[in-house]
Amino acid sequence: MRYLSLYQEGNSLLHKIDPITKLLFVIIAILVPIIINTLTMALAFFIISTLLVFVARAFKRTLPIISFSSLVIITVLFIQGLFYLKNQTPFFTLGPFVFYKEGLLYATGIAIRIFNIINAVAVLIFTTKPSDLIEALVKKGVSPKIGYVFSSVLQIIPQMMSIVDTILDAQKARGLETEGSFTKRAKAFIPLIGPAVLNSLISTKERAMALEVRGFNSKKKKTFLNEVPYNKYSNVLQVALIAILVFSIIWRIISW
Amino acid sequence: MNNKKSMWSFRFSTAQLVLIPAAVGINYVGKLFAGILKLPLWLDSIGTVLASMLAGPIIGALSGATNNIIYGLTADPISLVYALTSIAIGLTAGILAYKGWFDNWIKAFVSGLIIALVATLVSTPLNIQFWGGQTGNIWGDSVFAFLMAKKFPIFLASFADEIIVDLPDKVITVLISFAIFKSLPKQLISIYTDDHKIEKL
Amino acid sequence: MVNLVVEHLKYRYPLGNELALEDISFEVKKGEFIGIIGENGSGKSTLCQAIVGLVPNFYKGAYGGKVLVKEIEVAQSDVSEISSYVGIVFQNPFTQITGSKLTVYEEVAFGLENLGIPREEMIKRIEESLKLLRLFEYRHFNPFELSGGQMQRLAIASVIAMKPDILVLDEPTSQLDPQGSEEVFQAIQDLAKNGMTIIIAEHKIEKIASYADKIILLHKGKLVDFDTPEKIFSREDIEEYGIVPPVYTRICKSLNVKNEAGFYPVTLEQVYYELVKVYG
Repeated sequence: MRYLSLYQEGNSLLHKIDPITKLLFVIIAILVPIIINTLTMALAFFIISTLLVFVARAFKRTLPIISFSSLVIITVLFIQGLFYLKNQTPFFTLGPFVFYKEGLLYATGIAIRIFNIINAVAVLIFTTKPSDLIEALVKKGVSPKIGYVFSSVLQIIPQMMSIVDTILDAQKARGLETEGSFTKRAKAFIPLIGPAVLNSLISTKERAMALEVRGFNSKKKKTFLNEVPYNKYSNVLQVALIAILVFSIIWRIISW
Repeated sequence: MNNKKSMWSFRFSTAQLVLIPAAVGINYVGKLFAGILKLPLWLDSIGTVLASMLAGPIIGALSGATNNIIYGLTADPISLVYALTSIAIGLTAGILAYKGWFDNWIKAFVSGLIIALVATLVSTPLNIQFWGGQTGNIWGDSVFAFLMAKKFPIFLASFADEIIVDLPDKVITVLISFAIFKSLPKQLISIYTDDHKIEKL
Repeated sequence: MVNLVVEHLKYRYPLGNELALEDISFEVKKGEFIGIIGENGSGKSTLCQAIVGLVPNFYKGAYGGKVLVKEIEVAQSDVSEISSYVGIVFQNPFTQITGSKLTVYEEVAFGLENLGIPREEMIKRIEESLKLLRLFEYRHFNPFELSGGQMQRLAIASVIAMKPDILVLDEPTSQLDPQGSEEVFQAIQDLAKNGMTIIIAEHKIEKIASYADKIILLHKGKLVDFDTPEKIFSREDIEEYGIVPPVYTRICKSLNVKNEAGFYPVTLEQVYYELVKVYG
């Protein structure tokens, strides 16, 4: 792997929507259910983001991420079902354990919120090239330097993975033990991470110089090689999304 | 760590900026090695702590934030919200470094405790908001279940859940970072501190 | 026309005790090919970095004297501003890849975008420099997929696209395999033929001997000599500076074959020329 990305080519409606609009949707899908902290609101956003996952034809690819969180959600259902502080109404019993309605409902709310976040993010990451998202943000006024930081991380992590293998082999060849007792394994950590850190810091020095001589600190107004034409409705969509956020904040203030 | 300039400067040198992706990479490698060695710790914030020690709290915080945003957008979306914890770790480590709290092993150990406490204080409300108070760690969650069963307030139960995991992890992370920092060549360290002036010969 | 003037340049790194460069002065004319030689630690890299202003502006430290590129004093200017007058290529091909671009084509665009070059002009320059460096067919590759020699040529292409008058190369082949080195030297030779002023620090003495118009010999941060390859390699004390002259020079020295000016030849062609003169 050369580049850290979950993007997959496709021609769904969501692939055609511009990255900023999708990013705004993620922010709103996370924030609004927190601002208006009701189960209905969480459920509404969960339904929308799940539908969008299907529209993006990304359901299969979202499943592994969901199942990862589902393990924790199951323990949440258990613990809250048994011990939630407001538990009153027994719902069912399992051997010696009494599960309560309030706790189960609360845990269901948690599950809905978590799955909402995962699905909203999935819509963005499965249909958007990270480089397009970053470039769109820079064009909107985000500092090109911050843009650089993000896009380089996506390539540096895969590079670091190959360094990990090199260091592991080199240190094992020198007799470093990476298996066995806990003490042995713990002692192996510094000889492994040390060279990786030194290597990457020395690279940062050289890369910083290479960037400087390529105009990284230039004060001129940046131009762009890529011109990305997006749907003309994206402005309308963005205004609508921001409006939703503003309304939810106002709603929260008046109903306080 | 001998910053004479204010530690809150937002004008970064190129070397400081390029330190951010390196820090995220180091976080990642730390986590990978901890996994390979089957250590019962995450050790996934060594890069953030080192960035703070080398280039101050703002670069540390940015490294932490970048770390979680990238992880959130490429692996686990929920880690996005824990960017706040990573930012807090970067800020705290940077301030402690600036105030000279990484001068020796004892101070570094105390710094580790402080960073663990701050990380826990920021994570706990997030755990409560998003997970009903749990961390997803078996040991921590067992303690959480026990305290909930004993009708402890949710914040205390969740705090205990988080600190059981965070305390050893962050203290060891900070000590490892300190050990690495001490072994770095002085010339290399000096490129990240932006307080030099050009002297005339 | 004089392209580069270095006057009484002195430099000490931060935390350093000794001067890395001590009172260096020389001039380079447009289109010249200059080699910088000297043992490790003689100041070759520092001098290269001083020509583009990274010394002192990247490292800070203590600085004296002047480096003038087209009348512009580099130490007083931003490294970014200098980049359209003089470019530099470093040793490690890998760390010169910005890491933020997904294709070779976009990688070359990086510097041009930063300088605010209009898009049409940008495309023209990218394609020109990729063709010049024989990388055009790799334009859709990820930069990290390239071989070492190709990556180093990409670094050169990225710098060339910014249209500098002078190209500085700091041991550009020291981390490459023989094939990669050969590719890079070929590319440098092509650029020199196109009239680019080249300044190259290099360990591969044979290459320097055959390409350079003049050579700067450095030792412990001081400029020992600045002259033609024949004169430099004919110096009786050359090995005291850690330099082994080209094999042809050594052969001619043992046979006492000299050219008309009284210096030993440094390349095979020159040896041949001298021998033809003697033996017909």
